[in-house]
Amino acid sequence: MHPREDQFWLLVSLRLSGEATPEESAILDRLLEERPEMAARLDAVGDWWSHAAPRNPGLKKGALQRHLQRLNERENLPPRRRGGRRLFLFVAGIAASLAGFSFFVYQWTPKHSNATPAVAHNSISTKSGSKSKIQLPDGSQVWLNSDSRLIYCETFTGDAREVQLCGEAYFDVAKDPGHPFVIHTNTIDVRVLGTTLNVRSYSNEKNTEAVLIHGSVEVTLHSDPQNKIILRPNDKLVVPNANVAADGKAAKPDMDSGRALSLGRVHFNRRDSVAVEVLWVKNKLAFDKETLEAVALKMERWFNVKVDITDDALKQMEFSGVFEEEALPQVMEALRLTGNFHYTIHRRVVTIRP
Amino acid sequence: MRIALYEDLKAYKQLYELLADGLYRFSYSMVRSAEVAEEIVSDVFIKLWQMRARLSEVDNLRVYLYTIARNCSLNYLERNADSRVIGLENLDSGTFVEGTSPADLCISADLANQMRRIVQQLPPQCRLIFQLVREEGLRYKEVAAVLDVSPYTVRNQLAIAMQKIGETPLLKGMLLKDMQQNLAEK
Repeated sequence: MHPREDQFWLLVSLRLSGEATPEESAILDRLLEERPEMAARLDAVGDWWSHAAPRNPGLKKGALQRHLQRLNERENLPPRRRGGRRLFLFVAGIAASLAGFSFFVYQWTPKHSNATPAVAHNSISTKSGSKSKIQLPDGSQVWLNSDSRLIYCETFTGDAREVQLCGEAYFDVAKDPGHPFVIHTNTIDVRVLGTTLNVRSYSNEKNTEAVLIHGSVEVTLHSDPQNKIILRPNDKLVVPNANVAADGKAAKPDMDSGRALSLGRVHFNRRDSVAVEVLWVKNKLAFDKETLEAVALKMERWFNVKVDITDDALKQMEFSGVFEEEALPQVMEALRLTGNFHYTIHRRVVTIRP
Repeated sequence: MRIALYEDLKAYKQLYELLADGLYRFSYSMVRSAEVAEEIVSDVFIKLWQMRARLSEVDNLRVYLYTIARNCSLNYLERNADSRVIGLENLDSGTFVEGTSPADLCISADLANQMRRIVQQLPPQCRLIFQLVREEGLRYKEVAAVLDVSPYTVRNQLAIAMQKIGETPLLKGMLLKDMQQNLAEK
């Protein structure tokens, strides 16, 4: 066996499993330049690795229930209580890496404590390249993605708990049946009782999306307020934004964009069993059969860069991928291998050419 | 990564939903029985519940849970096999499950299936390592801790697996054909 071959496959395995150091990655790149026929092999194996590697079946349905029953027999589980003792709670998730990553962070502060709420502002914004997480006065948790803004009252008064969102946020809404939680965006209003959901409504994007994870919500379209839409878990609603038509030009006010919406199911990322749309909460950059144009927009916010695509046909090319902790060059490289284009990164501008 | 579970069943259930499937597949690879694997996963989570107050002392939750699962699985094998010493090397390759290829796969279904077969025929420890890295997303160090081997072993075994997969004659043939086609078109 040619020693070069051994080294090649070692580097490939390191790259695909995400364990390659920058030096190792550079050596692999050099090898690929010297022997371009190996690039095709890497593509094929890499493709298989991402999509088709085998997996035995998982647990059968109802396993959790069976387990809880068993647990109850061994340990007397505390009865479900509303409120009660609330303590600091961290949950480390699958995204845990050597650097340490917690993906769900729940934090309750006891109602009677002297602690002031974590954020005492009326609005919170994030810039490109950064995300944020806040707790609202009612205990609801909100993860804010890059380039987004959330406006809320310091104390929720009145019948409803209302917030205004421009951008993308993942909500874990505290249960309070007496006071519905309403998320206002430019295109839709989402009304929830106690649930987790993701809402995406950027003014420079074509659509507004709402993805429901748990619970149930009622969506009202600004363009058609009479017909309300109820979402069930794993439903994804996509509504065209009224101010941007499909070709990017401003739309006439009487365009019936409200009817051209779609209600579908979310796509699950195989590895994490989590909807692709909420992977950003786990600090993973993900796109699911999205055009390069859409991917570019996501990357602009994620990395705080500008992305220019010179070729229109290239803009429409579709990509899927999930990245965790990869820096911009690595993501661009992965896209390039799939999309067969050229790119340059200069300062904070990425240019993509055919 | 810090974890302190407290009397919140909701977080516990979410942990189950996140991690149980992976632990099940891992255990199943060893014990080869759906019922036993499910019970082992349940045992792991019972242990997790019992330990919840002290979980802040746990450095890496996944490694912790996978290690418990491995120990339970090995215990089961010891109790239920003959008196041979059970090491990971002695586990059989097991039955093969043919998965469905997603439509956006670029390589042919034939090739994908052949690659899968190669994985199934890997030596037991190699295959286990491959599955933990590829399917359950564990880092090399985590796999090494769970299986009680050195990270170099993990690294080398995975490289061997990739080489076997990548050097399959079908892939070589397909690439050769592609190249010839490209030349012909020019």
